[in-house]
Amino acid sequence: MTEEKWEPKVVAFVCNWCTYTGADLAGTSRLKYPANMKMIRVMCSGGIDPVFIIKAFERGADGVLISGCHPGDCHYNAGNFHARRRWTMFHQLLEYLGIDKNRLQFSWVSASEGKKFVDVVSKVVNDVRELGPFKGYKELNSEFTAVVNGLKQEVNKAEAVNG
Amino acid sequence: MDELRNHVKEMLANGTVAAVIGYKEAGSPMRTKPVIITAPEEAILLVFNEYCLNNLAVYLTKARVKNLARVNGTIKKLGIVAKPCDVHAVIALIQESQLKREDVYIISFNCNGVVKDYGETLTGETIASKCLHCDARQPLYHDKVFGELKDLPASPDEELAKIKSFDDMTSQERFEYFKNEFDKCIKCYACRAACPMCYCTQCITDKTIPRWVESSAHGRGNFSWNLIRAFHLSARCVGCGECERACPMDIPLSLINRKMLEVAKNDFAYLSGRNLETPTLVGSFDVKDKEEFIL
Amino acid sequence: MEEKIINRENLNKLCRDIIDGGNILIAPGKTEYTVIKDTSEIILDAGSKPTKASYKNYAFPKAEPVIYYKKDKNDIELIDIDIKGKKTVILGAKPCDSNSFDILSKVFNWDYKDDFFNMRVKNFIVIGMMCEFADKYCFCTSVGLSPVSEKGSDIFLIPLDENNFAVRIITDKGKEFMESYGKYLTEGNPEKAKAKTEAGKSSAKMPEKVFNSEEVRKWLGKNFEHPFWDGIGDVCLSCAQCAFVCPVCHCFDIVDEDYSYEEGRRMKNWDGCQFGHFTLHASGHNPRDIQGKRYRQRINHKFKYYVDKFGEILCTGCGRCSRGCPVSIDIKEIVSDTVKN
Repeated sequence: MTEEKWEPKVVAFVCNWCTYTGADLAGTSRLKYPANMKMIRVMCSGGIDPVFIIKAFERGADGVLISGCHPGDCHYNAGNFHARRRWTMFHQLLEYLGIDKNRLQFSWVSASEGKKFVDVVSKVVNDVRELGPFKGYKELNSEFTAVVNGLKQEVNKAEAVNG
Repeated sequence: MDELRNHVKEMLANGTVAAVIGYKEAGSPMRTKPVIITAPEEAILLVFNEYCLNNLAVYLTKARVKNLARVNGTIKKLGIVAKPCDVHAVIALIQESQLKREDVYIISFNCNGVVKDYGETLTGETIASKCLHCDARQPLYHDKVFGELKDLPASPDEELAKIKSFDDMTSQERFEYFKNEFDKCIKCYACRAACPMCYCTQCITDKTIPRWVESSAHGRGNFSWNLIRAFHLSARCVGCGECERACPMDIPLSLINRKMLEVAKNDFAYLSGRNLETPTLVGSFDVKDKEEFIL
Repeated sequence: MEEKIINRENLNKLCRDIIDGGNILIAPGKTEYTVIKDTSEIILDAGSKPTKASYKNYAFPKAEPVIYYKKDKNDIELIDIDIKGKKTVILGAKPCDSNSFDILSKVFNWDYKDDFFNMRVKNFIVIGMMCEFADKYCFCTSVGLSPVSEKGSDIFLIPLDENNFAVRIITDKGKEFMESYGKYLTEGNPEKAKAKTEAGKSSAKMPEKVFNSEEVRKWLGKNFEHPFWDGIGDVCLSCAQCAFVCPVCHCFDIVDEDYSYEEGRRMKNWDGCQFGHFTLHASGHNPRDIQGKRYRQRINHKFKYYVDKFGEILCTGCGRCSRGCPVSIDIKEIVSDTVKN
């Protein structure tokens, strides 16, 4: 894939009750947003385990968006409050370990905020586009990609040293 | 030392505690190892000095040790010899309902620091880095306390300086640094085993359906494991540094744990294992929590 | 056996040639044996402490792909791993490390021939060096080795003084390898090196023999259910640090990793018998449910089963497991305690 043809891949984990419905509203209102977003619906933002995000990066995501109900609006009363604390820690940990803070973003989007959803998605996709492909995480897996692309020699070299 | 031995002997003899987890000499006076004693006459084995590095709170959640407290159908106390910093771990375990305060008998010391590694004399250079920023040289909770406070040998806090130096690096440089460190990981899970707060009966890395964290010790598997380990301990870690000490590959795990301690301190004014009355940070919430990072 | 002399400067040049020739050079670093890119990184010191980890990962990697697969609609394509293995030179291997591949070869060639291991080992040249280090965790003499043991080395170095090493060529492989580097060698006096090794044997740096391995083997055969094992593991934390730094521990686990719906690979990863779930059955039953049983397995495997099956002790006495143990469990102590019961 050449640089010019590269398109950011962003995975969004969104809550069933607010953001997902908000996205629906964006659709029914015929608002346009970038198609780089792959959306995964979960029941509550409080149910998004950090391993989901790591898995997304492992499988080649360039950015991740987490979105849920506004504080106080949680369908399960307190899910997003718990989530908020968790993400405060998690996003700083990722940033410290060298994953740019724009690669993992958070938002509150309610069911009536179709316009806000479009804005958030556009912002995240633009930020990630600016950062370029997430080479760091992808290179952790370079040996694998080399094999499936038929570049056996390269692999042998890496293997002899690192095993 | 005799005070400790006599006290433990008495406690075991009069049945206050069913067993005591303590330290004994391991081959040389400059190395200790954990010992679990149940008979009063074994109390003579116990020692306490600057070579007592282990955090013995790790044993409090082990099934075999817990069983020792079950005597004739009643649950007795488990005695533990704990440095003030290890007391934090005991308190954190109580906060997380892994333990009841009345089931544990804490024998602590006014602490004068421990060494980085066995076999070294305690000086400004060999003192463990956690001792340099210690905020509780006297135990916060105890049932019995021994020892007198002396001045700690002073030394610059290099760990914090290192953490601060990361601020000047670009995220790419930091990523490279940690990637190279994590590459060394061999997945022996000594960090997990030595951690008093890693008490899950089944760790997420051992789960196979689905397999969230790859068990292979390659670049990706290592990065995921170390990230998840660090996150599961953020705001729960008490900063005892056992993970880093146990690591056979010298991965600077304390750099990460310490950073997360700072984050919890700055954002929530929370320190794990300091107060029995407060709930844990991640087990509770406040509607007024900061959220400027959320769009 | 031939004997020559090489000085540090020439040894450095030799190393330079090895690297420039496109080969891999490995030498002891701070924590582990590392790949040397520049000769200035080499620290060759007979008195240095053994590295925290052994060099077994260069022949038996901590995580190694066995096969790759790629799926399309109707078919699965398997991509074999084709290990050519580059010539790899290990410089300054301790006698307690150099023997490890010989011991491991037995198990990797017993029933199934492990090509991954064999292909790599075939390309190895082990340059061993006499050891002048001993602490209270060393016990090579108890398992039939010694600080001057040449077992497993193709070439053996004996430090004569600050600047000079005697070079003993042990195997044909070593001889063939040294042929092209003859220009760096000078004639030596075999007597001098012999005197040095003899002195090494009687010096204080010789670990004391603490147990008789044959006695231990017999005791283990009779005392599987001995109460000695019950409390042995109470302080053990069940990490696998001991197995992973061991030069001869070789248990592995096979796992499949998928990378996407269509692609994936099968991995061979290190595993350790001290993990609680190592023997956990799918039914939920665990035959080694407590640490004492796991520790019994560790000792039995090293000092009985392996000896019975292959005639070698699965231990080189390097003491790494004891030195690094987070709770200071000393394998030497436990093994010597067995026969006292």
